[in-house]
Amino acid sequence: MTDKPQVPVSLAMQDHAMMLTGTSAKKLFWDAKAMVDAIIEATEYYQPDSARLHIDWYNHEAEALGAKMIYGEHSKPTVDFGQPLIKEPGDLFKLKTPDFYRDGRLPYALECYRLMKEKKNAPALGHCSGPFSLAVALRSYPALIKDLRKRPEFARDLLDFTVDEVLLPYIKVQKEYCGVTSVSGANAWASVPGLSPEELMEWAVPWSKRLKEKALEFGITAVSQCGEYSEERLENFDAGILHRSFDVQIASTGSVSLGLLLGRWQDYPLEPVLDYTAKYRKQGKRFPIQLAVNARLLNDGPIDKIVEVIKRFIRTFVPEHELEISMHPSAGNNPDHVHAAIAAVRTYSRAPLSGNMDEIEFIPPRRESFQEWKKRMAV
Amino acid sequence: MPDLLQELKQAVVEGEDDQAQRLSQKALEDGLDPMTIVKQAIVAGIQEAGALWKQNRYFQTDMIMSAEAFRAAMEVIEPRLSGTETSNEGRCVLGTVAGDMHNLGKMMVVVMLRGAGFQVMDLGEDVSSTTFIEKVKELKPDILGLGCYMTTTIGEMESVISGLKENGLRNRVKVMVGGVPLTQQIADALGADAWGKDALDAVDKARKLMEVKK
Repeated sequence: MTDKPQVPVSLAMQDHAMMLTGTSAKKLFWDAKAMVDAIIEATEYYQPDSARLHIDWYNHEAEALGAKMIYGEHSKPTVDFGQPLIKEPGDLFKLKTPDFYRDGRLPYALECYRLMKEKKNAPALGHCSGPFSLAVALRSYPALIKDLRKRPEFARDLLDFTVDEVLLPYIKVQKEYCGVTSVSGANAWASVPGLSPEELMEWAVPWSKRLKEKALEFGITAVSQCGEYSEERLENFDAGILHRSFDVQIASTGSVSLGLLLGRWQDYPLEPVLDYTAKYRKQGKRFPIQLAVNARLLNDGPIDKIVEVIKRFIRTFVPEHELEISMHPSAGNNPDHVHAAIAAVRTYSRAPLSGNMDEIEFIPPRRESFQEWKKRMAV
Repeated sequence: MPDLLQELKQAVVEGEDDQAQRLSQKALEDGLDPMTIVKQAIVAGIQEAGALWKQNRYFQTDMIMSAEAFRAAMEVIEPRLSGTETSNEGRCVLGTVAGDMHNLGKMMVVVMLRGAGFQVMDLGEDVSSTTFIEKVKELKPDILGLGCYMTTTIGEMESVISGLKENGLRNRVKVMVGGVPLTQQIADALGADAWGKDALDAVDKARKLMEVKK
């Protein structure tokens, strides 16, 4: 028995770190040292169990291939979806594998991964777009959807291109440059209800699997999960669709674990998740679940509501599951909400888990502002 | 309803844009009244797609295809309609704020508002606050719709609303905001009149705003 918290907390906070540290977008998204320093500083302030380097990796490959970008003064860069790089199918065949050491902000991204490894003294974790999400960045979402229905051969060529000509060579370079052995392929475009689970099985999963299989050939584990459930209309929550989206997740990663990172998990019923994992639990497996505190809830609060949601997560999934709670505070997120959320996870997940969490008094931590903390640390 | 209109409606529901365009052309050649074509087939089609979306029988991909078919059909019919006939629910000007290029949600809102009888001027993406304000002055819309997809561009909405106040325009136009990072709470803090949580909700809210205006 231990009284240690059983649930680790991770923070992903590019936009938030930008606002917190007062670093401009122009600096943060071009200067790897500035980005890594901001993330590390914000991490030291909040003290989560792990910090995720969360940069705008959805843009990097498309930008390096020549996609038109919008660079805002105060906002992170974004692909100009209104003017996609592949306007006509023939444009695909004009594209060439980028020079990963030179084109766009790929050198910046590589340096971010290297610095993060160096400063955290931890194994380097690489990042790239997921194949489906890269296809969206190159073609735009509506055009790609139309391709899937009306030009399936072209859609397959495009997805093949993303894996074979861009992502695999990029992953190889990440290994060469900073020794990554594990890469995460961000694939939020491949979510439900953006696509149906059946469409994802046909149009996203095969390329995530291909990326994984081929990356393994040169010693890298590359996971690009598809099938996050992100239904915004609460009245449309559907356990059947949820279970099919979980099937997609497992098929895309090849591992028995779930990511509940998008969507309104503070409002969804959680029992359907337990129904899904029941067969694994019967076999004695502690099914890992990564569950996010919804960014809007974390932003809006109030703290009492955030704490209640965290209690419900822990009560439902611990100890039967290996639960990790992640948070992605928005740019203007009140830091008090983040401190309270982290403290709540630590308070309520202590082993042995309390049979009545409502009996545990929770006092939101009184923390100094980021600026005050910085001053104190400088002394 | 004539078979041709039924076929056209079905083409919109099923997202067959080429077919929707061809059938719209044929309906005009057959002498059918343009407004009847719009109401009984094209708008009825997009509304049925919206109903299927509400019932979880359609996913976003299906809605995009229906929206494309709606647009393709309207391209043929619109030049044959007078402005007053097409849109009498209200006038909307909308766009995605500066620094934000996401257009998917906005595209759906535009189509659903048009389908509901609103006259919509789409300013596109990455629209500066100056442009929004100039267009409000010039076009005098009933509703100004602002969209954003990133938490870092929410501040741009604030700039537009402040700009409206500074130019004495705030009381002349209702402001509706929408986009993934927004909540009712953020919309209230921004001083918006409504938050559209999705395209169908945006239509409901736009109708309510028009009732208030009247």
